[in-house]
Amino acid sequence: MSKAIVVWLKSTAVSHAMSMSPVLWPICEMLHFVGLALLIGAAGLIDLRLMGFLKSVPVAATMQLRKWAALGLLINVVTGTLFFIGAPQQYINNRAWYAKLAFLLVAMINVVVFETRQGRRMQTLTAGENTPVSFKIAGVVSIGSWFFVLYFGRMLPFIGNAF
Amino acid sequence: MTDLLASLEASAFSTWLRESPSIWAYPTILTLHTLGLGVLVGANWMVDLRVLGVARAIPLGVLSRAFPIMWAGFWVNATTGVLLFVADPTKGTTTIFMWKLAIIAVGVAFVLLLKRKLYGRGVEMDSASFGVKTMAALSLVIWIAAIATGRWMAYATAV
Repeated sequence: MSKAIVVWLKSTAVSHAMSMSPVLWPICEMLHFVGLALLIGAAGLIDLRLMGFLKSVPVAATMQLRKWAALGLLINVVTGTLFFIGAPQQYINNRAWYAKLAFLLVAMINVVVFETRQGRRMQTLTAGENTPVSFKIAGVVSIGSWFFVLYFGRMLPFIGNAF
Repeated sequence: MTDLLASLEASAFSTWLRESPSIWAYPTILTLHTLGLGVLVGANWMVDLRVLGVARAIPLGVLSRAFPIMWAGFWVNATTGVLLFVADPTKGTTTIFMWKLAIIAVGVAFVLLLKRKLYGRGVEMDSASFGVKTMAALSLVIWIAAIATGRWMAYATAV
């Protein structure tokens, strides 16, 4: 099953372009690291406020950075997908890759749960106000899961077999 | 110079960094270098974006606290960068590495300059002047270039 997916993906034009072009892969890697920095910066600032740091910032104000975190994530999902299509055999049997995806899933579930359950309460927290425990948990889970996404991404060649 | 690099490369420490199968050698140093990059550039971009008018509801004053975070990222990467250099000194002779160092030097100069413009003595601003905004825009681009040259090093060969 996974072998058939690898064979099919590798037969696509996108896969050929990614593996044959001398510049496409490096450019995607650069973009992947730019996206990473944008995501850490924006999500990190939001998470710090949720955890109760930077109290002079209204919580709602940090939420204006959500779209920048989303942009970083979007860049990385697109480039990450291109890496996968380009060399699926590197990832499909790679434990580090599954760990990375698992933590990405945790980060996503955390965002959705937090937004749906606390979204309105969040808008009302003004500058100087401490955050409730549920906010702090969401912040810690977010920062922790992004750390492990980065960690297992970087470990793709070392725990697994990607280059 | 090349003799010096060759003897560095032959040293026990360099060999350990490069060839040890331990996850705590090369892989961990590389991971910390990536994390430091994210923290330094990420914190820097948040200040740049705010100066450029993004998320105006965040008081400009509070973002002075992003600067110690940037320095933490910087020192993690200076340290791990030296270790990566020791592990593979010939990479330190590539043109792209020279470019990377030069770009980072300019980026750091911008960090210092921006800090002084925004939070220097007697400065209290809530929206930045055109000059400071230009500086923030340049800073944004400089760090993209730093990341690009750093990534490119993986593909460059020694001259």
